[in-house]
Amino acid sequence: MKNFLKRHGLWVLFAAAVIAVAMAVLSYFSNTSSPLANLTGVVASPFRTAYTAVSDWIGDKWAYYQDYQELKKENKALKKKIAEMESQVRQGQTASDENDRLHKLLNLQEKRPEFRYETAAVTERSSSNWTSSLTLNKGTSQDVKVNDCVITEEGYLVGIVTRVGLNWCTVLTVLDTDASLGAQVFRTSDIGVAQGDFNLMPQGKLKLSYLPAKSSLLNGDLVVTSGLGGYYPSGLVIGSVDAVQLDDAGATEYATLTPEADLANLSEVFIIKSFTAAG
Amino acid sequence: MIGRSETMIKWALYGAATLAALLFQGFVLQFLLLWGVMPFLYPALTALVGMYEGPVAGSAYALVLGVACDLALGGPIPCFYTLIFPAAGLCAGLMAESWLPAGVLCALAASAAAFVLTDAFHLLILALTGQRAFGTAALVALKETGVTLPFVLPVFLLFRAVSRKCHFYD
Repeated sequence: MKNFLKRHGLWVLFAAAVIAVAMAVLSYFSNTSSPLANLTGVVASPFRTAYTAVSDWIGDKWAYYQDYQELKKENKALKKKIAEMESQVRQGQTASDENDRLHKLLNLQEKRPEFRYETAAVTERSSSNWTSSLTLNKGTSQDVKVNDCVITEEGYLVGIVTRVGLNWCTVLTVLDTDASLGAQVFRTSDIGVAQGDFNLMPQGKLKLSYLPAKSSLLNGDLVVTSGLGGYYPSGLVIGSVDAVQLDDAGATEYATLTPEADLANLSEVFIIKSFTAAG
Repeated sequence: MIGRSETMIKWALYGAATLAALLFQGFVLQFLLLWGVMPFLYPALTALVGMYEGPVAGSAYALVLGVACDLALGGPIPCFYTLIFPAAGLCAGLMAESWLPAGVLCALAASAAAFVLTDAFHLLILALTGQRAFGTAALVALKETGVTLPFVLPVFLLFRAVSRKCHFYD
């Protein structure tokens, strides 16, 4: 190789100079690329296409992989966000329920400002076929006492607290045979006694007895607590007159009442912890 | 003759079976309303134990159950179940001793008798409080007995298992 360059070096240099000059001249006078460059480009073109295709394919795959990783990360973040939002919705629902409850309480309080209320949830219904009772989740720790009246959010009488524990109390509903309340017919002001009757209990009704001889009750007449004696507040709606009948002896009249409170579907009630007795 | 520890184990097992029955009543039967009444297992429990353990032990068990029922359920009078359940336990014990051998028939008959006694006492209390509702009360009693008796069978199997375990060497 050394000898070859020594012997023909000048010729090689000369040939290279001639080729270079020739290419320079050709490219100067040509509108396109030089024939040699053109030839090289033609030969390389399929390789370039293949290279680009492979490169694009790899690029796509890499982008897909990156997108997939990104989406996985995003999905995880979104799931977390959804869980947080669901938790917020639940909190919002609880707050909304509480708001509703307080709103009802406020309405009741506005209607009867002389009452002091305690909201309570029904935890159990009658535990026997012979009584009509409810168990509530409030007791002496909330200052609930025996003989406190229990009403619905509309102010309809549910019953009277008969047993009370630390965090529970039992309410005998107005249908129970042991329930007995001084009552007054709202329209006529007739006084009577609303009491549970075992014959009427399965029908979800109660009895209004000891009515005055000349009472003139009509179906639908509203019956409220009389408040006489000061044991219970006055004006609590017990029910409406369903029918007026004569007793077995045929001597005195009594009325059957349908309670205004939907006793079978109660879930939340209000206990009247204290009230100002009507003067 | 069984020793003190066997006696304690026996009554602990009866207690556990009673607790299971009470949970069944509280979690299942309490929410079943069949023909307007719910099944009421408590009188049947006194009958089952009375049947297996005899009139004296049965009455004692029924007395404890009666006190528990009065404390937890409350009745028309403060000691309603305390008064009537021992009579139901005694009746079941006597029935098993002299009339029907302890078994499914005796369990059903003793349970029915326990319901008759309990419901008759309800009727008496209603009459004493001025409620003249004999027809309605009898219908409620009949329905209550009818809807409860099918549920006595699984409870009977439970108490029979306890009794067999406790009286294996008798």
